[in-house]
Amino acid sequence: MDSNSQDDSVSTVNLDSATASRGLGGFTRSRRRAVLRNVGIPILSIALLLLLWQAIVVVFHVAPYIAPRPLAAIQSVTDNWGALWPLVLGTVRETIYGFVCGTILGIGLGVVMAKAPFLHRMVYPVLVLSQGVPIIALGAPIVLILGFGIAPKVVIVAWIVFFPVTVNVVAGLSHVDQDLLNLARVYGASKWRTFFLIEIPASTTPLFAGLKIGATYAVTGAIIGELVSPSGAGGSLALYQEHANTNFNVAGVYGTTMVMTAIGISWFLLIVASEVVATPWQRRTVARRSLLHREPDVDLTSTGH
Amino acid sequence: MSVNELLQLDNVAKSFGSTVALEPTSLSIEDGSFVAIVGPSGCGKSTLFNVIAGLLKPDSGEVHVADQVVTGTSGHVGYMLQKDLLMPWRTVEDNITMAARLTRGVTPEDRAEARRVAHQYGLGEFLRHYPHALSGGMRQRVAFMRTLVTRHPLLLLDEPFGALDAQTRLEMQQWLLQVWKEAQRTVLFITHDVDESIFLSDRVLVMSPRPGRIIADFANPLERPRSLDVLTDLRFVELKSQILHLLHGDS
Repeated sequence: MDSNSQDDSVSTVNLDSATASRGLGGFTRSRRRAVLRNVGIPILSIALLLLLWQAIVVVFHVAPYIAPRPLAAIQSVTDNWGALWPLVLGTVRETIYGFVCGTILGIGLGVVMAKAPFLHRMVYPVLVLSQGVPIIALGAPIVLILGFGIAPKVVIVAWIVFFPVTVNVVAGLSHVDQDLLNLARVYGASKWRTFFLIEIPASTTPLFAGLKIGATYAVTGAIIGELVSPSGAGGSLALYQEHANTNFNVAGVYGTTMVMTAIGISWFLLIVASEVVATPWQRRTVARRSLLHREPDVDLTSTGH
Repeated sequence: MSVNELLQLDNVAKSFGSTVALEPTSLSIEDGSFVAIVGPSGCGKSTLFNVIAGLLKPDSGEVHVADQVVTGTSGHVGYMLQKDLLMPWRTVEDNITMAARLTRGVTPEDRAEARRVAHQYGLGEFLRHYPHALSGGMRQRVAFMRTLVTRHPLLLLDEPFGALDAQTRLEMQQWLLQVWKEAQRTVLFITHDVDESIFLSDRVLVMSPRPGRIIADFANPLERPRSLDVLTDLRFVELKSQILHLLHGDS
């Protein structure tokens, strides 16, 4: 799936590129090799890790009530998939809502802080304070205020996500090339156009750095939320794991952990993929044909050289 | 003010704290001419440019462009620096139309014009490329086209080829002369390279630091079009010698 979509983009490059005929013949093969390197090696290293785990359990005769074999953990997931699936969806929903809220809050605060130095000084210590508080210790007040629904989970995820986003947006906006901003002024550009056409796009790389950090913590935040505010009705992944633990179902405990990890990694990869889509200039030589400007290219090549 | 003067400065002065960046300076630039400004760093060249472009408000004096008082306002000149300042997230075509996008929005005419100049000056194949795919010389050409399509009659070029290697710089100088001849603009060109200032210009202004001021104004005797042979022309060498003496004192 992944390698297919990569191949698509490669052929588009070759079609679009005016230089395609010039010595880019080996491009596709080298690109395919790069994809293999970038996707194959990480998968291999995770497989090796599981193999090491399996080997340790087998060689040292670790009792199944201490640590299960990875295959047993995986089997406990597949056997109970019907019960797990709705809980997975619940955790995913909490993660997405919280991540979106945290991102919006993070970008908003970042823009305000970058544009108003006074507010920056006012708000920054509060932000640092908010991240210094051990979030688990806030469990009781959060439940008192927000109860047992989805709200406390969303708030905790957003609480964790907004900080790296804000810090990176502030850094990005404060480091836009001053000469480029001067050039915009010489042209007589308005503040708004300068902001949306220069400052925002110039900050995409740090913004995505913040989003990626936020993404790795987002699922952890959702699980913390499920622990401090155990919802009664539908259950949750965290509760499921606790049940497995009290029933001495060690394979179930490990299996649930694997599921949580998989959600976290998937979310991270989704953010990485959206960065790839949002910043084509970082890996492409030639832009794709735009859907917005469809008018045909004027053929003036004869007047060129 | 006479009819064919495009730019006129009347006693324009600028200080930063106790540092006099630019002494009261008066200057007239004829429409369609190519004027080079040469001087060591810190002589107020860039301050002069920033005042003309409207980035800096002078402490005193007035700036006239095409009979309009433009002191302290912007939006009336094309402006280019040593750094190409291309936007990495925009294609060559979108970089060329940047001024329109930043001020009023890009029209199909702007796009057609961008494509026309790119084709005319050897970048037609690269319209859809991102800047990182281009060489330093090509990037500076894109930056110059971006300056050109603003349609302002006055172009301020601040050491545009300063970061290029000697070979590329020579190519770019010849290229610039060709474009300048065809596009019929007025160019004010800052450089610290005396050869460059003579090879390109109709007139060379020499500036001196502490305080920043214009200390000499030479009419360039070399006829156009110029080939590389002028670099060894006796009049070239003599003018160069005079300028070097001004810049580096007697020897």
